[in-house]
Amino acid sequence: MSVLLDVQELQTRFKVRKGYVYAVNGVSFTLEEGETLAVVGESGCGKSVTMLSLVRLLPPAASIENGQVLLRGEDLLQLDLRQLRDVRGGQIGMIFQDPMTSLNPFINIGTQMAEPLIYHRGMSKSEALARSAELLEMVGIPDGEARLREYPHQFSGGMRQRVMIAMSMSCEPAVLIADEPTTALDVTIQAQIVELVKALRDRSGVAVIWITHDLSVVAGIADRVIVMYAGYIVEEAPVDALFEDPRHPYTVGLMGALPSLEGETGTRLTTIGGSPPDLEDLPDYCPFHTRCPYAFDRCRTENPMLELVADASDRGHRAACWVDIREVEVQSNGAGASS
Amino acid sequence: MTTQEITATSDIEIAEASRTNLWRDAVARLAANRLALVAILPIVLLFFIAAFGPYLTPYDFLAQDFTARLASPSSEHWLGTDELGRDVFSRILYGARTAVSVGLVSTAISLIVGLVMGSLAGYLGGRVDMLVVWLTDVTRSMPALLLAIVINLTLKVPLEAWMEQMYLATKNTFFRQTMWVDLVLVFGALALIQWPGYARLIRGQILSIRSRNYVLAARALGMPTGRILTRYVIPNAMGPLIVAVSAGMGGAMVLESAFSFLGVGVQLPIPSWGKMISDGLRMWQTHPHLLVGPAVMMAVITVSFAWLGDGLNDALNPRQWGG
Ligand SMILES: Nc1ncnc2c1ncn2[C@@H]1O[C@H](COP(=O)(O)OP(=O)(O)OP(=O)(O)O)[C@@H](O)[C@H]1O
Ligand code: SF4
Ligand SMILES: [Mg+2]
Repeated sequence: MSVLLDVQELQTRFKVRKGYVYAVNGVSFTLEEGETLAVVGESGCGKSVTMLSLVRLLPPAASIENGQVLLRGEDLLQLDLRQLRDVRGGQIGMIFQDPMTSLNPFINIGTQMAEPLIYHRGMSKSEALARSAELLEMVGIPDGEARLREYPHQFSGGMRQRVMIAMSMSCEPAVLIADEPTTALDVTIQAQIVELVKALRDRSGVAVIWITHDLSVVAGIADRVIVMYAGYIVEEAPVDALFEDPRHPYTVGLMGALPSLEGETGTRLTTIGGSPPDLEDLPDYCPFHTRCPYAFDRCRTENPMLELVADASDRGHRAACWVDIREVEVQSNGAGASS
Repeated sequence: MTTQEITATSDIEIAEASRTNLWRDAVARLAANRLALVAILPIVLLFFIAAFGPYLTPYDFLAQDFTARLASPSSEHWLGTDELGRDVFSRILYGARTAVSVGLVSTAISLIVGLVMGSLAGYLGGRVDMLVVWLTDVTRSMPALLLAIVINLTLKVPLEAWMEQMYLATKNTFFRQTMWVDLVLVFGALALIQWPGYARLIRGQILSIRSRNYVLAARALGMPTGRILTRYVIPNAMGPLIVAVSAGMGGAMVLESAFSFLGVGVQLPIPSWGKMISDGLRMWQTHPHLLVGPAVMMAVITVSFAWLGDGLNDALNPRQWGG
């Protein structure tokens, strides 16, 4: 397998009224051909901003301060807008969280689906429409040709997400980035969408980056997982290693098995209280220390780097924590719930 | 028949079907909206009268009948006559012309200014945006009528003097018609009052549509900015804009009436409803017929424009097409 996407030291911040918000802070990861990478973390920890930075689809207040985004060796951050448009949709497809608002209500499905095919593939309108009908059938919408004439409001949420998937896959991209594509859908529909993407992936060999809050989805679809917190990757591991042997306290917390300061186990992280900080400066402390039951003095004065974990069963298992949680008891002076 | 021909025909069919669908649906929606339907009649009638009024009126608007001054409505003068014995019904028909030209011209001017300023603000952002927002705030903070009076008082005399000079210099009789001064002042004042509304609307639309998910999705598919503008931003901004223009037309007519009422309106030889209302108001207790006609017209037209605007918005907005 060869590396398809190689992201190095990506840093993105937002200009706000009183300074900056540091949303993505030196994120590095790779994606291999045909691989599925899951990105997990709570709301606001920088998952979306990281992915939008890859193809520079950021809001005006955001700026990419540093980094490289190498797609097959070519740095996307150096491309001009014209070249970048060919990458968007052509090489990197994206689907988003809210299918209800992701389609233009004024244009029928056929015209919307045809646009990227005409633009990226140089198809004629009739070719593009014929292809769109096939694509609709491919994502499980029967009678595709008739449905091309319909408008988005005539489709259910799940159907619209299928249309979005068909559109993002229409130009056969090398990478599909799915940003919480099932969050807004019913549970049964969620499972169908996951299965659909898996089937399409297995058929086309597209590499997938799947963003989610939901670790149960991860187990079913991902080869590897990145855990993000406060704009940092705090743990990275093959999916089995992550579930069997999580090393970062935050990952453990996401799995709902973090010991609380009171010593009970099985408390969910969210019940410990607090949320990811909006960083106004690059921290010289572990950004998780305010919620971490293992936190000790060093955590408040030094930010740990992402490094290979001790006794790693896999060379790709890295975590950013000063503590080996297998060996250490919960610190009584932890800041966790008390702050 | 080759396969290519087959797909080509089905393509045309698809395109055709979608277009007729969209329009048929929109018309059906509009037809289903009773208020909008009711509103269409007076508006069509207004434009018809504005265009053909002079051929319909029983009397010339200046024709004076000294034997029947301040006459009550009769078979001879349907809505009676005014102080000078002029036929009120005829004058109302002529007044439609003033109302329509004021509505069309001032709306067109303010819409163009608003579109340009609003788009600049929404697209360029930063300093330009701040400047435009500040300008709109300043303009809107001034009472409309006060603004019109100030404009009239400060600009009328110099403008007339300039016209006179131009006449002396060019001997072109165009510059002798002081009615143009009135028109420029009234349209200018109306445009000045109304452009900030359009500018803020356009700016808001651009800002909100630009951050909509379907625009992000289109950008993620690599669509170029021009296409996103024409296919995504403009159609989605149309609904609110149509409502605003429709209401704005009615608003401009009312404002012009208010100007006339205060003596800073169109002083054309042609009657204006506002002028008629203000004249009629002086003796509404003794001669209510002078007030009722133009006032009712004014009210009906204003309400009609508002209802039609709402109806059009619903009809043209597929988000409200249920489902
Ligand atoms: N327009 C913005 N202006 C300022 N800050 C922003 C903006 N958008 C995002 N941020 C900051 O970036 C951080 C990361 O946001 P991001 O959308 O990437 O989170 P996320 O991990 O995708 O969360 P979610 O699961 O809710 O989608 C947020 O905490 C927020 O502080
Ligand atoms: S570095 Fe310290 S605060 Fe951060 S996760 Fe590890 S133990 Fe907790
Ligand atoms: Mg997100």
